[in-house]
Amino acid sequence: MTTRAEFLRRIRTEMGRTAGLFPAETAARPTRPRERLEILRRELSERWPQNLERFRHEFERVGGVLHRVATAAEVPDAVARVAQERGMRRVVAWHADALGLDVAGPLAARGLETSAAPGGEVAAAEREHRRAVAAAADLGVTGVDLAIAETGTLVVLSGAGRPRSASLLPACHVAVFDRDALVESLAHAGLALEAWHDGAAPEWRGASINFITGPSRTADIELTLTRGVHGPKEVHAVFVEQGLGPRRG
Amino acid sequence: MSEAPPATPLRERAGRALQDTFLQEALTIATTKFIGLRREAFDEFPEGEALRDRARAIKEATLQHLDQHLERLIDNVERRGGHVHYATTAEEARAIVLDIARRTGARMAVKSKSMATEEIHLNEALEAAGITPVETDLGEYIIQLAHERPSHIIAPAIHKTKGQVAELFARELKRETQPDPEVLTRIARAELREKFLEADLGISGANFGVADTGTVVLVTNEGNGRMVTSLPRVHVAVMGVEKVIPSMTDLAVFLAILAKSATGQKLSVYTSLVNGPRRGGELEGPEEFHLVLLDNGRIRQIAGPLREALDCLRCGACLNVCPVYRQIGGHAYGYTYPGPIGILLTAMLNGSESVRDLAHASSLCGACADACPVRIDIPRMLIELRKEVGERRIAPWSERVVFAGFGRLLQRPALYRLAARVGRALQRPFVRHGAIRGLPAFFGHWTRTRDLPPIAARTFQERWAELEREGRR
Repeated sequence: MTTRAEFLRRIRTEMGRTAGLFPAETAARPTRPRERLEILRRELSERWPQNLERFRHEFERVGGVLHRVATAAEVPDAVARVAQERGMRRVVAWHADALGLDVAGPLAARGLETSAAPGGEVAAAEREHRRAVAAAADLGVTGVDLAIAETGTLVVLSGAGRPRSASLLPACHVAVFDRDALVESLAHAGLALEAWHDGAAPEWRGASINFITGPSRTADIELTLTRGVHGPKEVHAVFVEQGLGPRRG
Repeated sequence: MSEAPPATPLRERAGRALQDTFLQEALTIATTKFIGLRREAFDEFPEGEALRDRARAIKEATLQHLDQHLERLIDNVERRGGHVHYATTAEEARAIVLDIARRTGARMAVKSKSMATEEIHLNEALEAAGITPVETDLGEYIIQLAHERPSHIIAPAIHKTKGQVAELFARELKRETQPDPEVLTRIARAELREKFLEADLGISGANFGVADTGTVVLVTNEGNGRMVTSLPRVHVAVMGVEKVIPSMTDLAVFLAILAKSATGQKLSVYTSLVNGPRRGGELEGPEEFHLVLLDNGRIRQIAGPLREALDCLRCGACLNVCPVYRQIGGHAYGYTYPGPIGILLTAMLNGSESVRDLAHASSLCGACADACPVRIDIPRMLIELRKEVGERRIAPWSERVVFAGFGRLLQRPALYRLAARVGRALQRPFVRHGAIRGLPAFFGHWTRTRDLPPIAARTFQERWAELEREGRR
C-alpha cells in the first residue's frame, strides 16, 4: 500500500518538473472571521426586510413555501396547520435549546405525536430507536443557522439536539427562523463557514453542515422534474417576525 | 492500464448510436435543455463571469502548492478522527475500500453518485467480494439494475425512456409499475429507503475537499448524499487529489458556479459538508470516516500536457454543447468519462494510446472551452493529443503516410504546383456539382460523409502569375 510519505513525495517530484509558477492565487481568506461575521450580521439586521423578500422569491422558485408569524408562540399553530392539511400525525423536532422554542409540548397538545431530540449524548440503543422514529415520522421541525437570500437556501448545522434526520427522513420539512439567520449571498455564507470553523468548535457542534435549497428533486427519468426522491417532498420555512428565543448556535 | 479498452472500434460504437432513434431524440432534448438552463442561470448572474476567472485562479494556485494543501487536508481530517488512505492506482483504491468493508463486516454498501468510484470500477470489486453495492442516485440506480454504465456525468440514464424504466422495475423489483416518472420515483424511494437504513457502509465521492478544515463536500439534488454520509456505520469517501481546495471562502466561489453550469440551478438542492465521524451528542453520523485520496494517473499530469484537465469540476457543461457528444452520446466514448473533457480524462487515466481514435472525436469548435466554468482549453489539449498520437505512431499507417506526404509537398513550391496540376487531372472523374464525391479505396472514408472541395480550375498562384504577365499589378 502507498504510504503518505511516498504519495506526497511523488506529488513533489512532479511539482518540481513544472515550468514555474503560474500567476494565480486563491480567494482572500478573511482574517478574524468571527468578528467579521458579527459586524456583517449587525449591518444586515437593518436590511432584513429586503433580504427576507428576496429569500421568499428564491425559496418559492425552488419549490419552498414561506409562512410568516408574528411571535414564537404562533409557530406551533403554523406547524400543526401544515401537518393537519396533509393528514400527517407523527412529528420529530429539534431540542428546544437548539430551536429557540419548545414545539414538542404545544404540538402534542394539538394532537400530533411529537418526539423532540435529546439535548445531549445518548446510548447507541437509544440512537437506534430515535432513528427508527425519525424514519417513521411524517414531518420534521428544525431550526435554521443561515437563510441565504440570493439562492433561497437554508443552512443547518448538525449537533446535540439537532438531528440530521429531521430535515432528511420525513416527507415534509418545516424550518423555523428569524431575521438573525438572514444573509444576502453565498459569499456571506462563505464568511459564516470560515467563522464556524475558526478555532475550537463548541461542544454541541456536530460533524455535518447542510445547505438545503428546496425539496429533494430529480430529473433522471426523461428529465421530468420529480420531488421527494430521497429527502423531503416539501420544504416549509416559518419566519418569526419578533424573533425566536435564545438558542444554542 | 486501469480501464479495459472497448470491445468494438469507435466508428462502430458511434454508428450504433447514430442509428438509435430514441437515443438521438433523448440526446437532443436533454442537451438542449441543459444548455438553455445554463444560459439563463448565467444571464441572471452578472458576476458569474468574474467568478469563473476566480475559480480558475483558485484551481491553478492550489495545484501549484498541491502537496501543502493535501497535507493540511490530511492533518485536519485526522484531527477530526477520520482516516486517510493513499491510492496510486485504481487497483489499490479498490483494495483499500474492500479492506475497510471486510474489516467492518459490511454486507451491503449504499453509494451516492461518484465518478471516481465509477472510474475505479468499484462495484464489480465489491460484488466479487460478496458485498452488495447499491447505487442510490435515481439515474445510477436505474442503470445499475439494467447492468449498464452512465451515459452522462450529470444525468446517467438520459438514454432510457420511462417505458424502459417501468419494464426494468417490473422485472427486477417485481413491482407493479406505470411508465410515469412520478410513480417510478416513488417506487425507487421506497426500495432505497430500506437500503439506506439497512446498509453498513456508505460510499461517496467528493466534489471538494477543504484543506483548512478537513471537510469533504458533496453536492446532490436527491438527498442520497446526505443519507450515505449519515446513516451507515462507516463512511468512505473516494476523492481525486485534484479536488482539494484551500478554504471555505474558496468553496463559496465554486458553489456559485457549479450548479449553474451543470443544471442551471443557483445551487443544487443539497450541499453537504462532512467533518469526519459523528461527534458526541449527535444522533446520527458514521462511527468511522475514511478518505481515500486517489492518484490513478492524475499526479503525473501536474507537470504533464493534460495539467489543465485537473481543474475540471465534473459539471458536464462541455458534454451538452459538444456537437460530437450530442450525436453519439456517452456510451460510444467507451470509457467512464464521456464528452470532450472525457477524452482528456481517459488519456490521463489510461494513457494516450487509449484515445487513438477518441482524440479525433471532436470538431475543435471550441464550444466546450466556452461552456467550461473554469475555462479549460479543451481543444488545445485535444490538438496536442492528436499530435502525440501521430508522433508516437499510434495513428493508422494510411493516415500517417498521407499527412507525411502532404507535409513534404507544402515545403516545396515547385512540387506543390506540379501536384496541383496532376491532382486537377486526377480529380476530374470524381467532381460532380462542384465537389469531389465518392472517392475510391480508403479515400472513400472522407467522401462518404462529406464533400471535398476540388482543386480550382485555375489556382491562385496561376492567376497571380497571369496578372503579372498582363502587367495589371
